[in-house]
Amino acid sequence: MHTYEPVRSRRLWLLALGCIAPLSAHATDAPQRNPAPTRANWAAIADLPDLSGVWAPGPLDKYVPGGPEAPQWLPAVARQVDHLKQLDAEGRPQNIYINCLPEGLPSSVTQNLNSVEFLVTPGRVTVLSELDGNRLRRIWTDGRPHPADPDPTFSGHSIGHWEGNTLIVDTIGFLPEVFIPLSQGVGFPNNGDMHVEERITLTGPDTMRQDIVVHAPKVLAAPWHASRSYTRHRERSYDLAESSCRQGDFLEATDAQGNAAFVPVPKDAGGATLPPDQATAPAIPTPSGTHP
Amino acid sequence: MKPLICVLAALAMAPLAAPASAHHSFAMFDPSKPMKFEAIVQNLQWTAPHAVLWVEAGKVGTYEAGVWSLELPTSPANLAKMGWSRMSVKAGDKVVVEINPMRDGRRAGQFKRATLTATGQVLSIGAIPGVQPPK
Repeated sequence: MHTYEPVRSRRLWLLALGCIAPLSAHATDAPQRNPAPTRANWAAIADLPDLSGVWAPGPLDKYVPGGPEAPQWLPAVARQVDHLKQLDAEGRPQNIYINCLPEGLPSSVTQNLNSVEFLVTPGRVTVLSELDGNRLRRIWTDGRPHPADPDPTFSGHSIGHWEGNTLIVDTIGFLPEVFIPLSQGVGFPNNGDMHVEERITLTGPDTMRQDIVVHAPKVLAAPWHASRSYTRHRERSYDLAESSCRQGDFLEATDAQGNAAFVPVPKDAGGATLPPDQATAPAIPTPSGTHP
Repeated sequence: MKPLICVLAALAMAPLAAPASAHHSFAMFDPSKPMKFEAIVQNLQWTAPHAVLWVEAGKVGTYEAGVWSLELPTSPANLAKMGWSRMSVKAGDKVVVEINPMRDGRRAGQFKRATLTATGQVLSIGAIPGVQPPK
């Protein structure tokens, strides 16, 4: 029978320590742990605004394009954005979500067309979504600070606290490639140092508002303010679905041995599915006006 | 070693020219040239982020007979809330489809509406309560 034996050799112990120590700037600090929730922790959640359940986002009411609430880009960026908007208008969109990477903030708030689910548990609020695949976002409410140098991610590192009916969220630590979107066809990377502030407010029994302020000093001339409203749905038809962003790239088929298999679906450059016999090259364009 | 081999094998098998699709703009479809034609359902591809109705049609105007890919502008999760299911149509169903065709002339388009010939039932893309209609 195998049993765990502590390292008895002093030499081995020192060797092990020598390997570990350079990885930690504070070798003497105890490793940080998430404490097991207590009955009191669970009970305290009943006194918080109830964000639980599935929420359908409202209209994309963030701004009127060209209006005072549209993102104010730095001049050099504005020229590039104008070019991207022109390409989009010509039917050659930039397609900022086409690679199936997570959309991240602020897209997951401002561009989302699918439901989101909030889970409020001791020390954290978890946001699940199904755009374009299932996504996970954690907002730590246990009082921890941001890490001094967080690993950059799509959704960043979020910490939050409650003020009345509002969850105040602060997020840093974004990958510089994460887009500030104008649409699914046009966006601009934040280019680094993005900082996002959010206020998530229960405004009625089943209504919620999410105000977001995006600070992106490398590309924006001023913080961008956007907001989104949500309606809660307790109907089971609104339960989040399993959603894999890449599943649509495959058809269910049967292989030569009769086994179930996924086969790739042909796509055009913009990501649209194509008939298999026209996968590689466009047909000769149909002269305009000759469609039936 | 094994993971690298797996990655290389996957890369070797991947069709390099075909991008992953995900959530994409529908700018390749032309809303100014709507089409309506009869077709036979092959398959309703019930996948995120866009479901796809695959149909077979005879010669339509200048288009040769063949398989058409008709992309729906949203995902099964949202379609279910509009009353669709993966069984809404089945292989062999005769339908009249209404689409916005792909600009480059290939047999592909944006699905707008289908009418089942046998029952007259209309399948369309509606608004999800509280959500902006899909673009």
